[in-house]
Amino acid sequence: MDIAELKAELEQYHAACFGWALSCCARDRAEAEEVLQTVYLKILEGKARFRGEASLKTWLFAVIRKTAATEYRRNLLRKLRVAVSSEQVSKREPAGGEVDAAFDRSEEQVRFRLALQHLPARQREALHLVFYEDLSLREAADVMGVSIGSARQHYERGKKRLREILERTEVDYGISWRGKENPGAV
Amino acid sequence: MELVGEEKKIQALFSELRLADEQAAPSFIGVWNRAQLRTRTRVSPLNFSLAATAFAVFVAVVALALWSGSRPQTPPINQTVAITPVTSPFTPVTPPVTPTTTTEPTPKVITVVEQRQAARKLRAARFAARQRAELLAARRAEIRDATAISSWQSPTATLLSSQNDALLNSLPQLNESVKELKSFLPNK
Repeated sequence: MDIAELKAELEQYHAACFGWALSCCARDRAEAEEVLQTVYLKILEGKARFRGEASLKTWLFAVIRKTAATEYRRNLLRKLRVAVSSEQVSKREPAGGEVDAAFDRSEEQVRFRLALQHLPARQREALHLVFYEDLSLREAADVMGVSIGSARQHYERGKKRLREILERTEVDYGISWRGKENPGAV
Repeated sequence: MELVGEEKKIQALFSELRLADEQAAPSFIGVWNRAQLRTRTRVSPLNFSLAATAFAVFVAVVALALWSGSRPQTPPINQTVAITPVTSPFTPVTPPVTPTTTTEPTPKVITVVEQRQAARKLRAARFAARQRAELLAARRAEIRDATAISSWQSPTATLLSSQNDALLNSLPQLNESVKELKSFLPNK
């Protein structure tokens, strides 16, 4: 594929790619942007080459996922070098405060984001790819680099875990998640 | 994928999240241009390591060349090897030919076997010369060591010398007279 054609295709998927990068970077906007830039750089330099073995979107998401993992490891090493306290480096902090400050959104949405952050990475990825990116389970499995059976398991467990977390927060906030109707439901 | 009940609820939440993300997404052109800029300014670590390796190899080659140039040359073996024409066993026996009237010299055909034999002889001669040189050097070293040992003197040798050394070291000669011999006898 020619670079100009690829650029046009990438532009089409840019928003989705950014969403996926955000998910891979624990909703850290700056890091997601950095990852996306690195992915484009890889494409420009020919380090990441689309061979048509999967759909462009699936391939692109797989590259973003891999790049985000590499960047995460690199950042972790950098933090270790500057001897930041072990608590800060051992775990990614959910960017809840930033989320609250950045966007004016509903309380439910905030709780949903925090709940997502408490999910294991694989489960979060499976849910994001299916519900956010509208991918099939097979495509999600391709992006995650796992078998379809494994992807299905992550998906089911993720749903269950998300429901549990949201129900728990409902009790805390006194809101019924199950009882509420969402007009935006598909 | 067909969604039911709870899944629809989750999808609605994700849709809302996607809308918010799309609004906050940076422009494609900006990210792409920054990536392009990085491509131009970035020096690949692989290229850098390749260049460093090439430079190191170049330096090593130059150093080797200088060292071999400054090294004293071994004297060339002044030896001429006479290559005698050898009749190859593979050359077919030609019947005697009657001399022709042409005066042109016949070109000397050097067969591969002859070339190999000549090279072998040359190698053997070089080997013999090298062995002779080594033997000579070993003998020289032996002579040098022997000279050094014969002229060696103990540092404490002077402590052993006395005024009566001549008397102690000398022996009476066989043709000396008895009177002279008496000088060695104790006085009675």
